Amino acid sequence: MTTGRSLRVGEALLGGAVLALGLFVAAQTALLKVAPTHAAIGPRLFPFLIATGLIVVGALVLREALFGHVAHEQRGIELDWLAVALVSVGLVAQMLLLEWIGWIPATTLLFLAAARAFGSRRLALDALIGLVLASLAFVTFNYGLGLSLPIGTAIEQLMPAEGE
Amino acid sequence: METLAALGHGFSVALTPYNLLWSALGVTVGTAVGVLPGIGPALTVALLLPVTYNLEPTSAFIMFAGIYYGAMYGGSTTAILLNTPGESGSIVTAIDGHEMARQGRGAQALATAAIGSFVAGTIATVGLTFVAPLLVRLALLFGPAEYFALMVLALVTVTAVLGDSLPRGLASLLFGLALGLVGIDLQTGQARFTLGIPEMLDGIDTVVVAVGLFAIGETLYVAARHRFETEEIYAIKGSMWMSKEDWARSWKPWLRGTAFGFPIGALPAGGSEIPTFLSYLTEKKLTKHPEEFGHGAIEAVAGPEAANNAAAAGVLAPLLSLGLPTSATAAIMLAAFQQYGLQPGPLLFESNPELVWGMIASLYIGNVLLLVLNLPMAPVWVKLLKIPRPWLYGGILVFATLGAYTLNNNAVDLVILWIIGLIGFAMRVLDVPVAPCVVGLILGPLAEQQFRRALSISQGDPSVFFTHPISLAILVVAVLLVLVPIFLRRRRRHADLPAETPAESV
Repeated sequence: MTTGRSLRVGEALLGGAVLALGLFVAAQTALLKVAPTHAAIGPRLFPFLIATGLIVVGALVLREALFGHVAHEQRGIELDWLAVALVSVGLVAQMLLLEWIGWIPATTLLFLAAARAFGSRRLALDALIGLVLASLAFVTFNYGLGLSLPIGTAIEQLMPAEGE
Repeated sequence: METLAALGHGFSVALTPYNLLWSALGVTVGTAVGVLPGIGPALTVALLLPVTYNLEPTSAFIMFAGIYYGAMYGGSTTAILLNTPGESGSIVTAIDGHEMARQGRGAQALATAAIGSFVAGTIATVGLTFVAPLLVRLALLFGPAEYFALMVLALVTVTAVLGDSLPRGLASLLFGLALGLVGIDLQTGQARFTLGIPEMLDGIDTVVVAVGLFAIGETLYVAARHRFETEEIYAIKGSMWMSKEDWARSWKPWLRGTAFGFPIGALPAGGSEIPTFLSYLTEKKLTKHPEEFGHGAIEAVAGPEAANNAAAAGVLAPLLSLGLPTSATAAIMLAAFQQYGLQPGPLLFESNPELVWGMIASLYIGNVLLLVLNLPMAPVWVKLLKIPRPWLYGGILVFATLGAYTLNNNAVDLVILWIIGLIGFAMRVLDVPVAPCVVGLILGPLAEQQFRRALSISQGDPSVFFTHPISLAILVVAVLLVLVPIFLRRRRRHADLPAETPAESV
């Protein structure tokens, strides 16, 4: 895993991604319809400059990765992809469920997934701590600081005709 | 004299019990969150933004000033006891600070960092008090061309001077600039790069990007790495107090560190990394115990930590008087101002003197509060370091998503947060610096506006940037800042090619 090869792949990915972003920005800019009066210094010049920069830097990094010596002094590193996936699952679950089942359960799930990703095996305890933390945040921010974290449409239907 | 009167008025605002309370609350939560591993000052400020949403601006910024200074103090505690510097400014502190902790002198390292930060912070705040009005007067001479040149200078320094790989810094900067393009074009009202998503018309929020890169990206990275790494925390033993010798070896580095930190931080191209390195090198040259450097020399904690804090105060000068952020933390502070519909700059001193001077006055107060808070309470902060990692990072995610969601009460921000987090993770893995992206995102749209304003005034003639003397001078400095390091590096490589050592061992 820690060979020059995986480093090269990383460099190539970085260069490719930057290059692709540059091309995307350039294409989007070219598609922008602009009123003719603004033609000289309209909303397209800056995006084009940025796109050019991205393309040049991306090409430089890519060239270095494919043909040059790997200049960057860094060893390739091992990564635990399962943990990354778990944290991601937690985040996606939270964003999908948040407005439906509400802040507290959705966020407890996120906490649980994150704790598991960091190797915790005490799921019940983790869930309890997540629940307490999410509830504390809900109470503090909704009642103390006047923000509105969602109660959840599903929950609201379960308890109709409450005072507020 | 005018300045003193304004400052006096600021104190009368900051010293009301109500605002004093917010200041105390700010320094406390700032320190507490800043101490947590994985949370640097930039993220601390970003995560605590929602807390201030319902305050009126003056109190909010008094609290922010406290959070800002508190986060700097907290960050040094983490650097010393855990050897995980939360930002580039405390990398140097971590080297000898962590060695001291390993030798059981953690308490003294924390003490010299705290007292040094107090001394440096106070002197630098005095500096800020007098420099900011001067900068305001200077700023009145500036037109759009000069502002654009200044912004280029700031972007160049954040990108080129701080990182060790120019293409990587540029990639990060350009990514930030590209993100800044999203939304309605301010001059023509035209939507750009919104991909047809209505929530993107307002642009991508700097806070979401900062939290995504720093909190989500960092959490993903630590999650991916934590099986392969172990960390050691050293308990604080014995007396908190510094011996006579510790004092004797600390006070000069504090003052010299301040002398490096404030002026460099206050330059529109500043930042806190360079002064900390300069301070370290100077102390190493001047000390009677050079053999201790790298093995727990107290000077090597006292000097750089003072430099770091003085620079943190210095950075506020261009931020408040020119609206120019030169660090990731300052970029988020600027985003906070924009949330309140305020644009820092010369006009802010005119239109909102209460806010500006109240904030500056509260920096003096915050420093005193922090000294009181940090010396006796250090053991409490150390306990925060021992929070089990699964719960710590679970908690970071909870508050990161809370901050992103409450910005607009919109789940779309959570999607953006996650995507930016994945990108931040990739940047960490590929060793791409994050700060240029955040600064680029917030400065990009401002720079574009000034650029186009300058060109409309000159009726499309691009030579305005080179015929105005101030603008030309600033651009020349920017170019030199890029070229000189490249030139020096090349010469050094020619000079000692055979003796090339591995770059860093931090």
